[in-house]
Amino acid sequence: MLAVKTDKLTKNYGDFKALDGLELQVIKGEIYGLLGPNGAGKTTAIKVLVGLLKKTSGTAQVLDAEIPNKQIASNIGFMPQETAMYIGLTVHQNMEFFGKLFGMSKEQIAIKEAELLKFVDLEDWKDELVQNLSGGMKHRVSLACTLIHEPDVLFLDEPTVGVDPKLRANFWKYFNKLKENGTTVIITTHYMDEARNCDRVGFMRQGKLIAEGIPYEIMKDTGTDNLEDAFLHYATIGETSDGRMPDGGGVE
Amino acid sequence: MDIGRILAVSKRVFIDLKNDKRSLALIIIAPLFSMAVFGLAFSGEVENIGVIIVNHDNGMDIPVVGNIDFADQVIDNIDHDTLDIQESDDLATAIDSLEAGDAWAVIYFSENYTANTMASIIPFTNASSEIELYIDMSNVNLAEAIIIEVNSALMATMEENGGSLPVTVERTEVYGQNAEFMDFFVPGIVSFAVYLFTTLLTLMAFIGERVSGTLSRVLATPLRESEIVSGYALTFSIVGTLQSIFMIVVGILAFDVMIEGNILLVFAVVALLAIVCQALGILLSSFAQREAQAAQFLPLIVMPAFLLSGVFWPLEAIPAWLRPASYFVPPSYSITAARSVMIRGWGLDMIWMDMVALVIFALVLLALAVISLKKKG
Repeated sequence: MLAVKTDKLTKNYGDFKALDGLELQVIKGEIYGLLGPNGAGKTTAIKVLVGLLKKTSGTAQVLDAEIPNKQIASNIGFMPQETAMYIGLTVHQNMEFFGKLFGMSKEQIAIKEAELLKFVDLEDWKDELVQNLSGGMKHRVSLACTLIHEPDVLFLDEPTVGVDPKLRANFWKYFNKLKENGTTVIITTHYMDEARNCDRVGFMRQGKLIAEGIPYEIMKDTGTDNLEDAFLHYATIGETSDGRMPDGGGVE
Repeated sequence: MDIGRILAVSKRVFIDLKNDKRSLALIIIAPLFSMAVFGLAFSGEVENIGVIIVNHDNGMDIPVVGNIDFADQVIDNIDHDTLDIQESDDLATAIDSLEAGDAWAVIYFSENYTANTMASIIPFTNASSEIELYIDMSNVNLAEAIIIEVNSALMATMEENGGSLPVTVERTEVYGQNAEFMDFFVPGIVSFAVYLFTTLLTLMAFIGERVSGTLSRVLATPLRESEIVSGYALTFSIVGTLQSIFMIVVGILAFDVMIEGNILLVFAVVALLAIVCQALGILLSSFAQREAQAAQFLPLIVMPAFLLSGVFWPLEAIPAWLRPASYFVPPSYSITAARSVMIRGWGLDMIWMDMVALVIFALVLLALAVISLKKKG
């Protein structure tokens, strides 16, 4: 049972191939980590999968529906890299707004909001304008808004940037809890220590998936004892002697 | 389209405006301020224009009647509030003052002014009398006011002495009896202000949505592009109506503007205009990458409406070849319609054409706004 399946997925910007025949398969109910250097195409892949970017060719399915497809939008949760909150609204007003977009009733929103604010430790900031919060707090609100409608598939683009280690650990606990409830989580991250928490990770480079597996196997295959070194191994394959990528360029 | 999601967007935009004190000020105070400033500046009659009168008229002795002095009578009939009169005995000195910029005109009555006037009244004499006017035309408005004032003083003097022109103009005011400048101005500035602030606010709000990423974020939810545009349209049509209510109430209280027709029609027209403008704002935002670029659109938004909507001066005052361009300026329709309702007392049967034009604008721009949002990378 696949939550996400892409076949020869490409996305071009002019001559530049941001996605170059991406073959990605994410199994329902797993936490899948999408890793790779800046410009590898991770964010592009996520944006295509949530319907924000138009693919150039190939196929891409989320929950067995060919995307873009508004029918499955309510089953999907997307947390972008940037904070992307309405800063002129309070934390509560933001959560209520997103809840309503997913057709939730006031009561449903209130229950879920209380649970999520407790989880992101922002109960005391409920009525504060988002513009008055710190960067990390904004990130937590952003995550809470993504989770409000209990999506089946979660796309999280660098969700733990600017979040302190203790809270990051909490985040992962919560992701695991979501997984136990059957939620599929696709996550991009630069923190290799937390990539280890993923069931499987995939390394992207120049728009392609160049390696995939459970973290333990990846380390074994690359002869390294941590994902950091494995990452460096994959990130530098085929690099020219001056350290530049052979093709140059890149997009987020 | 889902009404729940449209209402959610509409409420969100409302809260955003309400929480942002600057936007709130822009919506409420700025239109009132602009109305008051423009209104007070433009509505005032021209006053205290400095002129010098040189009166050499000797008058004329007529048996039984006594001495007649037409020049004195003309001078008495000049409105001393409009013209600030200094007197001088010497024409050359007076003209020197005029040339030195100390006065705007010199009005000269020659020695024989009364005599010539009397002679000119007698038929078949071909005699004529003249008031000589030396005038500084560097300020056309003031110069025209002086000429009008001297002419009307002359007419009044003629009438007082039993003389009248053989041909007169009989005036019947069909619309706008006793209308003053503010009666003409308020219906115009209401539309102009709503146009300006609605377009600017949506432009800024939408560039903000694009830059901060909220736009992409909500588009990854079940929310559709048409629902976003409808939500914004709902909010801004209400905000536009509220703005016009504020302005018209102040117009009534402070400037006693006339309202001959159904004021609800004016609100409906302004609400339609606001919908057009928010769609325009959304559309323009797709051409901007940063919030600062909103400023670059300002001339594009302000200038055509300023010149071609008829808010400050009539369209007849611009060159004929340029007038058709006003058809592409949405506020021109609401200004015409609002004036017709408020001053002429016209109803829907007379202003429907303007409303249809606004509806067409709204539909086209709303569709373009939705298309601009659907355009994906």
